[in-house]
Amino acid sequence: MRLGRRLASVLVLAVTLAALPGGLAGGPPGAAAAEGQATWAVHITLAPTWFDPAETPGIITPFMVLYALHDALVKPMPGKPMAPSLAESWTASKDGLVYEFVLRKNVRFHNGEVMTAEDVKYSFERYRGASAALLKAKVAKVEAVDPLRVRFTLKHPWPDFMAFYATPATGAAWIVPKKYVEQVGEDGFKKAPVGAGPYKFVSFKPGVELTLEAHEQYWRKPPAVKTLVFRVVPDESTRLAALKRGEVDVAYSITGPLAEELKRSPGLRLVPTYFTFTTWLVFTEQWDPKSPWHDPRVRLAANLAIDRAGINQAVYLGLSKLSYSFIPQGMEYFWSPPPIRYDPKRAQALLAEAGYPNGFEGGDLSGDTIYGVAIGEPVVSYLQQVGIRLRLRPMERAAFFKEYGEKKLRGIVFSGSGAPGNAPTRLEQYAISGGRYAYGAYPDIDGLYTEQANEMNPRVRQQILTKIQQLITDKVMFGPVIEPAFLNGVGPRLEVHGLGLIANHAYSAPYEDLRLKRP
Amino acid sequence: MKRFILRRLGYALISLVLLSVTIFLFVRVTGDPAVLLVEPGASQADIDAIRTQFGLDRPLWVQYGHFVSSLVRGDLGHSFYYRTPVLELYLSRLPYSLLLAAAAMAFSLVIGIPTGIIAAVRVNRWWDSAGKVFALLGLSLPSFWVGLLLILFFSVYLGWLPSSGSGTALHLIMPAFALGWYFAAAHMRLTRSSMLDVLGSEYVKLARLKGLPEALVIGKHAFKNALIPVLTLAGINLVIMVNVAVVVETVFAWPGIGRLLYEGIAFRDFPVVQATVILGGSMIVIVNLLVDILYAVIDPRIRLDK
Repeated sequence: MRLGRRLASVLVLAVTLAALPGGLAGGPPGAAAAEGQATWAVHITLAPTWFDPAETPGIITPFMVLYALHDALVKPMPGKPMAPSLAESWTASKDGLVYEFVLRKNVRFHNGEVMTAEDVKYSFERYRGASAALLKAKVAKVEAVDPLRVRFTLKHPWPDFMAFYATPATGAAWIVPKKYVEQVGEDGFKKAPVGAGPYKFVSFKPGVELTLEAHEQYWRKPPAVKTLVFRVVPDESTRLAALKRGEVDVAYSITGPLAEELKRSPGLRLVPTYFTFTTWLVFTEQWDPKSPWHDPRVRLAANLAIDRAGINQAVYLGLSKLSYSFIPQGMEYFWSPPPIRYDPKRAQALLAEAGYPNGFEGGDLSGDTIYGVAIGEPVVSYLQQVGIRLRLRPMERAAFFKEYGEKKLRGIVFSGSGAPGNAPTRLEQYAISGGRYAYGAYPDIDGLYTEQANEMNPRVRQQILTKIQQLITDKVMFGPVIEPAFLNGVGPRLEVHGLGLIANHAYSAPYEDLRLKRP
Repeated sequence: MKRFILRRLGYALISLVLLSVTIFLFVRVTGDPAVLLVEPGASQADIDAIRTQFGLDRPLWVQYGHFVSSLVRGDLGHSFYYRTPVLELYLSRLPYSLLLAAAAMAFSLVIGIPTGIIAAVRVNRWWDSAGKVFALLGLSLPSFWVGLLLILFFSVYLGWLPSSGSGTALHLIMPAFALGWYFAAAHMRLTRSSMLDVLGSEYVKLARLKGLPEALVIGKHAFKNALIPVLTLAGINLVIMVNVAVVVETVFAWPGIGRLLYEGIAFRDFPVVQATVILGGSMIVIVNLLVDILYAVIDPRIRLDK
């Protein structure tokens, strides 16, 4: 009887507490408590540097973790390439020199501290990842005007400030708690990171897994899934096996025949995602008058000889995007060139017109051992069919990029890049004089590039960049092939898996939107 | 004996110095880690910043001097990829590798030695042929393929075992089998040949002439002597299992040193590759040194031999 009364009291107390706004957890009113676990089989080894936005290396992969642990002033979100997040709004002065961000009120880090303008200033100054030198060279000062207002003053007008600050091109806008970092130190922060994202750090076993738990006070909304586990499974057959067994809910990067098998497996879904990744041929000898590649008709013939749809079907089950530009379709200032239809007969006619009726020895097609083989091999075969005889030269990735960057490769280079940014940043590296991977350049394109870099009017800038891309197409400077899809498997337990919600983001996100199916 | 040990110790040190020079130079000719840590298309300024951060912009001899002086102090450097001390990383992976190697070794000895003995005792008969087939398969089937077959059958089809990972005894079964089979085959072959040698020796013939039971002849007189080369090989194999089970650890997502080495090579993480190779090499050198000393203790002629 006494036990029954005690039980009744506990029940009444529990019901009362549950009825309080936000319950004990302090989440928004009416929010359901997070529950369950979602597990990912990740294709690449997780590194502690990914827990710290200051170390963002300019690749998309760390954002897999950053979107969970941290938050940015402005970041890509569903439907918006630059969505206000920790900043409610921002303004740019007419002269393009001052950017002011108004911060969201009462945003709390995982340790309970409230985010202020000082944290934003500190995070920018502490940032040392990709393009850190460039950002700091362009920014004259950062001021915490008041606790909820941050002002960036540039040295000169820079039209790409937001493209660098507020996109995955850098991690400079991702905010860390100043007091906490100073208290635990750099190494301590990587071991126990604290952020303002939807998930809190629980544990990390190097080479094994990362475990995160819902941050119920996340400003946007409390996550619905209690625990996220990112398990490192380097072998893709094993990832598929884990997905089939229900050990994981999402398996990243499943390709070729395994993707076909995944597609056939009952209860599993094959979900492609896309990021700013494209592949193309570089005609390195187009500036050498003695080379057959000097003739634009030969380069056009090579473009017409490639069956892009066929390669897409064979390698990516038709899920990749056909590409006619070396600039990805999702990038700002992209201009869509006319499609290049597969036409081997016209290719042969063009070669004959250029003085090569029986084709020619085109030298090497050098590429890395991943895409350079998977896509490079069929490219070699298609070119062979019209008489352009190439030798496939697969190279180990580091060696390939070393020789590519040092401009030691000859013939054709099978190139690819997933670097975030916009059309000008992509042009700078591959098509402009002095670009790291530019084997040559054209004065008219160089001139227009310089012009756009100083143009603050987006409409005029768009026109100049369109002109540059048209010139590149007219000169047949490159041989675009495809924008490879990133193929993933999703198991039956996830109702919202987050893949493809954010444009140009390869991984699940935003994590607070994930939902498990009701049993 | 003291001179013998000192001489062997000297050889061991020379081996380690040569190993450190070789691995230091070899990893540096394989490519630039800075290029792999950024997306192709990254600016030269970003690549240069990474080189400076890792000290790769300094002359080679300065880098080597720094590497050796740190090594002497027990500092194996910081991983380029993980940005954590390599020794910490190595020690966090070592228990997993030791566990896997111990299980695989136990499996290889439990299977390899009895089958080797039976094959030798029943030479050129059915058991011997079956043993040869077992050894041939074990040595010729690639372990990644064996691993994938095991996953497909025991995880996906039967649903008995977890497909990958670590943490429970169930996680250990398939990787231990996949890794152990190759070595079981090697141990079986050596046990068989060693047993055949011993079974043909004069003292075994004498034991048989004395009328000792066959089980006693094989178990007490032949097996003990035949075991010496097998255990020597097993010792070396254990070190190999701990350090270079790259394929099995990758297929089963087993977080051991083999996978650490693989990741180190893939990302051109020079400190990780240098540390795993030097620590693995040190293990082999130490095991060899101990074996040499033990041989010298057992057979004094060895220590006198120049």
